[in-house]
Amino acid sequence: MTIQALRALKTCCIGLTSLATAMTMTLTPAQAAGDLLVAPTRVVLDGDRGTEVILNNIGSETATYRISLELRRMTADGRLEEVSEEQSNQIEQAAKAMIRYAPRRVTLPPNQPQAIRLGVRAPEGLADGEYRVHLLFRAIPEARSVTDQTVPDGGFTIALTPIYGVTIPIIVRYGNLQATAAIANGRMETDAEGQSFAFDLSRSGDRSTYGEIRITKPGLDEPVMVARGIAVYPEVTKRTVSLPVPPEIAAQLSGPISVAYYESANDGGALIAKSDMIIR
Amino acid sequence: MSKFIKAALASSVLVASVMGATAARADTATADARANILQQVTVNSDGTALDFGTIVTGTAASTVSVSAGGRSCGAGLVCSGATSAAGFDVTGTAGETVSVASDPSVTLTSGTNSMTANIVASVSTLTLTGGVGSFNVGGLLNVGANQADGAYEGSFNVTVNYN
Repeated sequence: MTIQALRALKTCCIGLTSLATAMTMTLTPAQAAGDLLVAPTRVVLDGDRGTEVILNNIGSETATYRISLELRRMTADGRLEEVSEEQSNQIEQAAKAMIRYAPRRVTLPPNQPQAIRLGVRAPEGLADGEYRVHLLFRAIPEARSVTDQTVPDGGFTIALTPIYGVTIPIIVRYGNLQATAAIANGRMETDAEGQSFAFDLSRSGDRSTYGEIRITKPGLDEPVMVARGIAVYPEVTKRTVSLPVPPEIAAQLSGPISVAYYESANDGGALIAKSDMIIR
Repeated sequence: MSKFIKAALASSVLVASVMGATAARADTATADARANILQQVTVNSDGTALDFGTIVTGTAASTVSVSAGGRSCGAGLVCSGATSAAGFDVTGTAGETVSVASDPSVTLTSGTNSMTANIVASVSTLTLTGGVGSFNVGGLLNVGANQADGAYEGSFNVTVNYN
């Protein structure tokens, strides 16, 4: 076989391989390397007892994940903003220092779960309060092979690799902490993406509130709308909650309604705040 | 240990069986069933990358933006080829509200040459209606005047934050 024939064969093989890759991708679009599952999605630690968080590789290839402690601050519109080491305050630094966890890096074949152990070591004389960090799970992208880095003859090519992951809050409550919340100023808002129902959620006390919002209408047994995972963290005393609503629900959100904020079922499901209002 | 993990991950099945057991009231005998049920979140890339396509540079600085809606090619540039915004799928508890954050910008390098791209996620808050949600990440590429040819590479962070 001549060298030219070999080259032709190689080109052909590469072509076939890329075709096969393309076909695989169409068949299983949701299985790129780095896909992950994390459970539970929130950890509250009272006292010294630790817990476990499960990380599972749900991609189709072996992936390496890094687990790190990050700081986030809630903004007035309820988003979580990244806080760098230099910007961090004393409470945040104390929170980061008291959480122990392992392993911090793990390589998992597909469908292999791994438990990440979490513990708290509160220093002597720690002030009462709520301390919070966000545990970040993120896949480390594979290094590109040299053959992928072909330089084009003219113009340029761009390869942008997303490094994606998920954070869950780890909350340590120290001392007897209380919090109350209040709901006010319910309103419908319209923007480019459609309609949303917004209201102000204020909080007072020395810990966060967390739970679900249930919007009910008099005469209807079932809530018109339920939104879960609504938190107000201690760094804010008031935030806006804006919930996108599809048109059929938006049509129901007029006249007298009742907006209630309940603890999640895991925390007891108690009512935190409730407000009756009239939407025009 | 692994049994516990499997039990936890098979939460939906367990929920169904536990609820079934509660609903069917036995008249003669009772038995306790216990399971540690954890709420889970998954984040998947949907297979599409953030792709600016092929760009032929011009003599003046310009920009190329890519979003789920398509591409906008700045004055002085020639753009061709298919483009795409990176897509992600999130699953979790129905009705859960999560926030999405990405790096504001990324520097792409090719040897000693570089350019920057601004990264824009399509949403900052995502409601998992029915337990699923998806978003995509587009960008605005800042192409310099007479940007050097080459294969530019970079990576950017995208994070789904649970409350």
